[in-house]
Amino acid sequence: MSSTSRARLGEEVWKLRTDKINAELVTLTYGSVVAQLCKDLDGDYVEVNKQLDKMGYNIGLRLIEDFLAKSNMQQKCANFRDTADVISKVGFKMFLNITPTIANWSSDNKQFSLLFDENPLADFVELPDDGKAQSELWYSNMLCGVIRGALEMVQMSVDAHFVSDVLRGNDTTEMRINLIRYIEDEMPQDDE
Amino acid sequence: MVVYSFFIFDRHCECIYIRQWLNNVSSATQPLSRPVTASSAATVATSVAEKPSSGNRLSMAEQAKLVFGVIFSLRNMVKKLCGPEDSFLCYRTGHYKLHYYETLSSLRFVMLTDIRTESLKSSLHQIYVNLYVEYVVKNPLSPVEHAGGEGVNNELFELGIDSFVRTID
Repeated sequence: MSSTSRARLGEEVWKLRTDKINAELVTLTYGSVVAQLCKDLDGDYVEVNKQLDKMGYNIGLRLIEDFLAKSNMQQKCANFRDTADVISKVGFKMFLNITPTIANWSSDNKQFSLLFDENPLADFVELPDDGKAQSELWYSNMLCGVIRGALEMVQMSVDAHFVSDVLRGNDTTEMRINLIRYIEDEMPQDDE
Repeated sequence: MVVYSFFIFDRHCECIYIRQWLNNVSSATQPLSRPVTASSAATVATSVAEKPSSGNRLSMAEQAKLVFGVIFSLRNMVKKLCGPEDSFLCYRTGHYKLHYYETLSSLRFVMLTDIRTESLKSSLHQIYVNLYVEYVVKNPLSPVEHAGGEGVNNELFELGIDSFVRTID
C-alpha cells in the first residue's frame, strides 16, 4: 500500500466509519484526568507522566483492535517506515483527525519522530506556573502509552516519549518512537 | 449450511472461546443446542461429559487443543512455503470443513462446518469486526487478556454469534 493510498484510507475511515464527538469534550475530559492526577500525586509530575503513560498503554491494547477492524488492514507492514506512515496517516487521522509529520529517521530506520502541528488534547492548556511543571510534565504523555500498547499487540515492542512540547515553550511538539524489537509469535505450551 | 463448532484463540495460544452446536445435520432446522462456553477448561470438560449424545469422543477442551495444534502448524507451513504474504484459509476432510481467520493482533478464529459451505473468510472477519471488537474489546469492564475465556463469555457476544450463525446459510 502506497503512502497516498494510506492517506486516502485514513480520510475515508475518518469520514465514513468514525463516530464523531465534540472536540472540546475530549479536550476537557483529558484535561480533568491530568489535573486530577497532578492533584492526587501532589505535583509529582514524573509520577503523573508515568500514570498517563500507563493509562494510555491500557487504551492502546484495546484501541488496536478497533483500528484493525475499522481500517480493515490485513497485511503486516513490510518495515518500520511503513508502520510510521500508518500510525500517522491512518491511526492519528482516524481517531483524532490529525496527521503528525514523520521526521528525523535514525540511520538504522528504527527511530523516528512524530511532529504534532496541532494537538487536540492540549487546546486551551497552560501549564501551571510552579517552576516544575514546565520542565517535568509531559502533558500529552497518554499518547505515548497508546502507541506503545497498540504496537505491542501487533508484535512490535517500542519505546515512545516526548522530547519537546509547545506547552513548555519549545518550538515544536515532538514524540520520539524507538523500535526495540519485533516480538516473535508465541508458541503453544507443550503438554504432551 | 451447518455450523458444528467455533473457537477463538488469543495471541498466547490459549482458547478463549468455544461454542458447539448439535453435531448433526437435522440440528440446522431445530433450535440451537444449549451453548457450551469456555468459562474454564474444567467446566467445559464436565459439561461435555454429561452430554453423551453429542457423539464426540473428545472433550471440547481436548478438541480445542488439537484444533490449535493443527492450525498453528498449517499456518506456519503455509508461510514457509509461500512467504508471509500468503495465509491459510481452510481445509476440508470427507466430513467437515475447517475455516480459519487470523487478525494482525494474532487472534485466531476457527469455524467447523459441513463440507458444502463456501469460504467463510469474510464471515469470520465480520464476527471479529461486528461482534468481538464491539462487544468484547469495547466493553470497558472486560479484561484485556481473556485468560480462561473471561470477558469473551458475555451475553451480547453470545447472542450475536447465535444470530450470525443463523444468517450465514
